[in-house]
Amino acid sequence: MSEWQRLDPKIMVIGPISAFRQFLLPSLIALIGVGTQQPRWLLYAAPLIILGSVGVGLLPWFTTRFRIAGGQLVVTTGLVSRKRLTAPLDRIRSVDLEASLLHRVLGLQKVEVGTGVDDSMIELNALSVAQAEQLRSVLLHRGAEAVRGGAAPVPDATTTEPDNGEAAPGHGAPSGHEAAATEQVLATFSPSWARFAPLSLGRLAIALGALGALWQFVGDVHISLARGDELWELVTGASLVLVLLVLLVGALVVWTVLSMVAFLVQWWNLRLVRDRENLHLTRGLFTTTSTTIEERRIRGVRLRETALLRLAGGGEAHALATGLEESTYAVLPPTPIGVTTSVAADILGDRAPLATELRPHGDAALRRCRTRNLLSLLPFAVVTLALVLVSDGPWWPPLAVAVALTPVGLLLARSEYAHLGHALAHRHLVAGSGITARTRTVLQTDGVIGWVFSQTWFQRRRGLATLTATTAAGSEKVTIRDIPLGDAVSFAGAATPGMLEPFGRAGPTE
Amino acid sequence: MSDPVEPLPADKPRFALLREPANQVSPRAVTMWRTIAVTELVVAALVLGAVWLLVPAHPWWLVVICAVVLLPLAVVAIWQPGISNRIHRWEVTPGAVYTRSGWITTRQRIAPLSRVQTVDTRQGPLMRVYGLAAVTITTASAAGAVEIQGLDADVARRVVAELTEITSADEGDAT
Repeated sequence: MSEWQRLDPKIMVIGPISAFRQFLLPSLIALIGVGTQQPRWLLYAAPLIILGSVGVGLLPWFTTRFRIAGGQLVVTTGLVSRKRLTAPLDRIRSVDLEASLLHRVLGLQKVEVGTGVDDSMIELNALSVAQAEQLRSVLLHRGAEAVRGGAAPVPDATTTEPDNGEAAPGHGAPSGHEAAATEQVLATFSPSWARFAPLSLGRLAIALGALGALWQFVGDVHISLARGDELWELVTGASLVLVLLVLLVGALVVWTVLSMVAFLVQWWNLRLVRDRENLHLTRGLFTTTSTTIEERRIRGVRLRETALLRLAGGGEAHALATGLEESTYAVLPPTPIGVTTSVAADILGDRAPLATELRPHGDAALRRCRTRNLLSLLPFAVVTLALVLVSDGPWWPPLAVAVALTPVGLLLARSEYAHLGHALAHRHLVAGSGITARTRTVLQTDGVIGWVFSQTWFQRRRGLATLTATTAAGSEKVTIRDIPLGDAVSFAGAATPGMLEPFGRAGPTE
Repeated sequence: MSDPVEPLPADKPRFALLREPANQVSPRAVTMWRTIAVTELVVAALVLGAVWLLVPAHPWWLVVICAVVLLPLAVVAIWQPGISNRIHRWEVTPGAVYTRSGWITTRQRIAPLSRVQTVDTRQGPLMRVYGLAAVTITTASAAGAVEIQGLDADVARRVVAELTEITSADEGDAT
């Protein structure tokens, strides 16, 4: 691959189509405004749009070239302002392949190379499947035993790479066959997982947002419901409760079906595979994506069971990685907790951090959970009080709200306290958190690059602290809330031997 | 303190609490903090005084606003510099930086020097007037930055030189 290479010629089919799609929507929207008065404009605009998108779509093939030379991936692109992107091979942290339906029909794949140094990805859209696989193999296994196995030299320091010239796309990917021998399958898709899809309410928020946008659009276009009045009479004629019930059930059914379909489209044919120190995740029904992260970049795992998922026996797993754009990395969709745990254990290489009992934080922490959760419900009572004051209403509603919410707050507090905890298991530290969701964050103790002991005034009175292990992976910190100060210090000391010793002193109890 | 300490068995830590970092901030830092706090109080009082004169009827909510704004500022001006002076401490050992900061919420931060990525000094206009500087030590974690505030400018220079020397000897990408 030391020779300059071009994108696959078949991209000239996709380019114009996707450019057309990009042009089409904005121009249509613009034209709806103008065109409704003067339809002639449509006639003038149509050829322009088509010619323009063909031109723009063809450009990338002529202007984009790439090669691997001198230990660097070099990509040049652009027509007027030429851009030259270089990435040292030892800085390349992820190579992702993506193929839309159209790409798949043509046997193409889009390659995205992430360096983690800056947030931009180097994108090659598109290469043939074999070429893409080979490029990924070279980029990820350079220097390692894979390169030696493929009889290719370590691609650094020199520009001569004898093997790469002959391993052109036509030869197929030689490493593909070797890969089969070294692959270890961690998880494969099961359609029954779709039962967890309706329980992921995060997606519901997104769906509702989309619905809101659609509603706005419908309002803008002034689609008049001709039979709106009849419908309204029908609705007002029936009992309100019945109408609400029907609406609710309808919404539930729609949500269930939609979320399951979306789930299947996104995760279909999922395969999580370990291959020579790399994790590969492939998935997708129409658009297939294949992402790869180096295992040495993975510092830990976050296991999350939201309240609804837990009722259905499911959970989600994220890998905490360093130097990726998306540093908490969903390795699995919501799956049965058994699958989630075993995959997480495979990734960690250790089951103990996931199975170990968490050490609770004691009565003082429980009291703080109570205060916090009761206070978090206070706004409801305050709003009721304000409404009563403003509208001169009866005296009892604020009191009723307060009485009704107190048990809720106490329940939330119990739940939060039950999830709270910490543990040390071999080379991993474990932190439990979450109010309604149960979250267990596991981090390699090697991945801890500092500690913060933080104490609010209230925590100091109760002898508690919030311990934060700082790390380069995931959200860059793991927080253990309301841990007794003594526990915090000895925990941190044990997790990172040597780091705290110069600053330690015996506690009052010793 | 600079002796390397051998790893301890996980279940037997030899200590249960952290001692204070060794060094205090410069006494001039307290003066600066007090100057800032008092200035804020005076400015707020002047603005609210002007409003008080301009609004003829002195309605009850104006009193509430005055109280809500001025009382916390007064509390800060009276207490914060002294408390901060007691809380703010720092220490640099050959192995780590250790600081304590804050006043209502306190934070003790430890960052091993082997994981340090950058060492910066910061000197705002007011800090220059008082001959002070702040040193920020960042690691690969956004949550892990350690700032030593209120250092004498000369001390800050010395600390930076020392830290640069120690950290430049380390290799790896500190993640």
